Amino acid sequence: MRYLGKKLFTLIITLFLVSVAAFLAFQIVPGDVVGSIVGEDASPEREQQVAEELGFMENGKKLSPAVRYTRWMKGVLQGDFGVSYRYSKSMNEQMPVKELIGDKLPVTLWLAVISMVFIILVSIPLGVVWARCNNKYLDAVLGVITQTAMAVPSFFLGIILTFVFGILLKAFVPGGYVSYKENFGGFIGYLVFPALAVAIPKIAMTARFLRNSMLTEMKSDYVRTAYSKGCSKRRVMYGHVLRNAMMPVVTFLGMIIAEIVAGSIVIEQVFGLPGVGRLLISSINTRDFPVVEILILYITFVVIFVYFLVDILYRIIDPRISEK
Amino acid sequence: MKKKSNGKWNQYLIAGLIMTGLAVLLGIIGFFWTPYSTTAMSATEKFMAPSWKHWFGTDNFGRDIFSRVMKGMGTTIVIAAFVVLFSGIIGILLGAVTGYFGGILDEIVMRITDAVNGFPSILLALVMISLLGKGRQNVILALGIVFVPSYVRIVRGEFIRLRDADYISRARLMGVGKLRILFVHILPNIFSVFWVSVMIGFNNAILAESGMSYLGIGVQPPDASLGKMLSDAQSYLQTAPWYALAPGLTIVWIVLGFSLFSEGIRRRT
Amino acid sequence: MIKIENLSVAFEGTEVVKNVTLELKDGEILGVVGESGSGKSVTALTMMGLVSETAQITSGRILFDDVVLREAGKPLDKALYRKYQGAEMSMVFQEPMTSLNPTLRVGKQVEEMLRLHTDLTGEEIRTRVLETFEAVGLKKVKEVYASYPHQLSGGMRQRVMIAMAVILHPDLIVADEPTTALDVTIQNQIMELLREINEKEQNAMLFITHDLNLARRICHRVAVMKDGCVVEQGRTADIFEHPKEEYTRKLIEAVPSRLKKRVSVMERLYPERYGEKPGEKNEENSEEREKGIPKIAAVRDLSVYYRDGNRNPFSKKKQHCVVEGASFDIYKGESLGLVGESGCGKTSLSKAILGMNPLISGEIKLETIRPQMIFQDPYSSLNPTKTIGWLLEEPLRAVGKLDESLAMTAEDRRAAAYDMLHKVGLEDKYFGRKPSQLSGGQRQRISIGQALITGPGLIVADEPVSALDVTIQAQIMELMQKLQEEMQLSYLFISHDINVVYKMCDRIMVMKEGKIVEIGGTEEIFSNPRQEYTKTLLKNS
Repeated sequence: MRYLGKKLFTLIITLFLVSVAAFLAFQIVPGDVVGSIVGEDASPEREQQVAEELGFMENGKKLSPAVRYTRWMKGVLQGDFGVSYRYSKSMNEQMPVKELIGDKLPVTLWLAVISMVFIILVSIPLGVVWARCNNKYLDAVLGVITQTAMAVPSFFLGIILTFVFGILLKAFVPGGYVSYKENFGGFIGYLVFPALAVAIPKIAMTARFLRNSMLTEMKSDYVRTAYSKGCSKRRVMYGHVLRNAMMPVVTFLGMIIAEIVAGSIVIEQVFGLPGVGRLLISSINTRDFPVVEILILYITFVVIFVYFLVDILYRIIDPRISEK
Repeated sequence: MKKKSNGKWNQYLIAGLIMTGLAVLLGIIGFFWTPYSTTAMSATEKFMAPSWKHWFGTDNFGRDIFSRVMKGMGTTIVIAAFVVLFSGIIGILLGAVTGYFGGILDEIVMRITDAVNGFPSILLALVMISLLGKGRQNVILALGIVFVPSYVRIVRGEFIRLRDADYISRARLMGVGKLRILFVHILPNIFSVFWVSVMIGFNNAILAESGMSYLGIGVQPPDASLGKMLSDAQSYLQTAPWYALAPGLTIVWIVLGFSLFSEGIRRRT
Repeated sequence: MIKIENLSVAFEGTEVVKNVTLELKDGEILGVVGESGSGKSVTALTMMGLVSETAQITSGRILFDDVVLREAGKPLDKALYRKYQGAEMSMVFQEPMTSLNPTLRVGKQVEEMLRLHTDLTGEEIRTRVLETFEAVGLKKVKEVYASYPHQLSGGMRQRVMIAMAVILHPDLIVADEPTTALDVTIQNQIMELLREINEKEQNAMLFITHDLNLARRICHRVAVMKDGCVVEQGRTADIFEHPKEEYTRKLIEAVPSRLKKRVSVMERLYPERYGEKPGEKNEENSEEREKGIPKIAAVRDLSVYYRDGNRNPFSKKKQHCVVEGASFDIYKGESLGLVGESGCGKTSLSKAILGMNPLISGEIKLETIRPQMIFQDPYSSLNPTKTIGWLLEEPLRAVGKLDESLAMTAEDRRAAAYDMLHKVGLEDKYFGRKPSQLSGGQRQRISIGQALITGPGLIVADEPVSALDVTIQAQIMELMQKLQEEMQLSYLFISHDINVVYKMCDRIMVMKEGKIVEIGGTEEIFSNPRQEYTKTLLKNS
């Protein structure tokens, strides 16, 4: 329990540091944000109004970054994510970041989740079968296939999938999309191929990792003990080796979470999915920093939280740690 | 129980060397000479399928894809090499000091590494680009910084492991200076582990660089880049699928070649 | 009855077991002794059907009650073996920690034996396991049953392994160095347990060990192996008292024993003061000794502390005392033995004397330049990326940097390194080699050379011979004594092996829980130990 508390504490510290870094980094970027929103020939009153809305000024006075950070953080904690520099809701009102992000988040999250499901469902059986296989040729073929799959960038894989399944086989409409609000089934259907593009290189990686982990475990002393009891190879594999070999794999899966989120963001571009990835990239391109700040914070939160969960899971499955 | 006598050379090493060698060679040549100009456009030669004249066909402006791939390959490899160099050196220095001495500095560096590690690398690079601005040097700098933590982790771990090794205790006992212990006594012992992460790092740098230029935040035109070519080609997937295939397969070629090469090295020892 | 007939085993064309013939009758303990690489473990593993699949049987066969288990030219019949493994023949391994599956409760691991070979129900299985746990001397059996291996002590783990081996009352138990990884006192208990089991169950036991003393204590018959061959076999008493073969004799001679006469370097160094009247080594004599022989180290009221916990600078640090109020002297040319169970503070005390632990109180006065150390493990005490020459020169370079006046030219260093190489008994050709190209004994020689090259008067030797085979062990001890005489060295000699200490040391210091409980001349301590603790320590080895 004390360990959990400690972990939770570092989690919060990390998030705090990230938020400070994200906020301050964009404060030092040169450029007149207000001027570029209101236009050159706007009245000073309008300029001040926008500056106050964006949180740069209060009652005609400029605020220090520290004060602005505190206010921003306070807002974030209360669910107020600030307003965008670029998007306007109406003539005189900037678009709140919350509304901007709102319906884009589920797309990215679902994409990451489906990718993860693919990875776990395919890589683990594949790794086990591979570790068990005695056939030299099958072993070599799997080696070459996984090595190649690991070398393919996910966006290129996405393009290939679009070409083969979208254009040649017409299994989906390239660039098409159904909102999850309208038709959840269709929505998931549109995510399958993008998820495959994210997952395939990681499946290869994980399967290789599991296989190597199992082969290493097979050389352990306890495996010899199991054989000395009269266990068959099958029993040794499933009864003794698999559980031990899975330990590092769990950590590995946790570690690639960040990569999956990154992969999802890139893959949204390929398939034209309206997720946060595209928003992030367009915000970076247009220097819409409030949006970027919130997205950074959000992604970090998700990733670190998953790390935290993996850590707990690890403690549950590995008795050596949980007892200490 | 000796190893097989042909341990020096294996299929992985040979295949990897050939693939990597070809890519590097073409990339280097591409800096000085290409079969066709990489910028000259031609309305009459648009979207030509691969032929003897244009090995990889031509693109939407009638430019020779093979020539452009050569150029892009060179850019990508050079950027990746610089990224690895930059992050590797800083990683060794930080990892050595934090691992061997521990203490407050170690704690600070580890917190930062944790935070950076929790963040998808390509995204962090994007954020840094948005701060630094686009361009080749900034891509190197951004990716270099992004990859530092992975090296710090590995180097630090090795230094912690070896810090208490008997032969290091003995060196301390002899009165060998701290810097000499770090870089003469310990460092050569971590190279085998470090080398592996350099290989992985190089491939990651290639993938990240092409990913960034695919998203339009990497190397900017007129510099040719494989990622940018891919994103251009995507619009013409129906009419000219070879356009996308050329830069895409080139990336696969480089990364696969290099990972076969490193696998070969790994199996040799 | 188990027979190994003419067995030869090869790995990739190299025979590691050659024409071995062994026979085991019911109720008999057969010891197979030999140094590392003698093929004793491969023989046992082949017999158990556990040798790796790359091994080839090039001649001979293995018989179990007239059933041929394995025969040259035929592949391993796994299905046949599985019927015997566990049920008819079982094995106890050297390292109980790694030999048990770390993520399964030990009860389940023992149960597996019954699930594989019997039709008992769950409840019967459990009862049977608990009974067996009690039979092998485990306490609180229900707790043990539900424990993971890391929660048990080394001795308990080995008892669990033994429970697993005996639960089906097999005809043969193979024990491969079953006590090597354990502390001395635990070693004794496990040996007793194995002997009891053998007497009660009357099964055959194949006992593999490098330790001749152990083999002598427990085995009915002994087979001596060398380079894959059985050199000699026969009744234990015959082998030890009238060895026929040269190698057997050498092996027995190499074993340090209290029954053999000690060679004392002190006696040779100070013949006028020392050793002429062995019967009179008593208190008065010790005082007299102090007058004439110079001290090299004087330790007064030394306490050593350690910081608890991790490297985290923000966490609270608690200091706790690992050595308390130690006072003793080391004389020039003397070997002072330091004995005690693991964790008693031996290493901390030696580190304090070496100046490697800053958290001390009290006084250490040294009449020499910085003392050096010889480590236990010759494989980890030499930097693997350097050449032998570089390693021997490095101490001189370091000294030269610390003190300008001691700086040497590159040629002088080289000459000194060659000189030291000869002194430790190695030839010129080793100068350019890497440690990995040397054997364990050769490495330990280099290790000694590295410690001595700067000419310190005091050497801390932390178990310098316990990782070595007996014959090598004897050579290294001889070398250490030779150098001691030549260079008038003093050793602080740490060892868990009382017999080694007896052979090497002039005086012995006994430590327990951070305190020095007894200190005195070797003969004095051995013939008349004053402390109860010293007595048990002596008895257990």
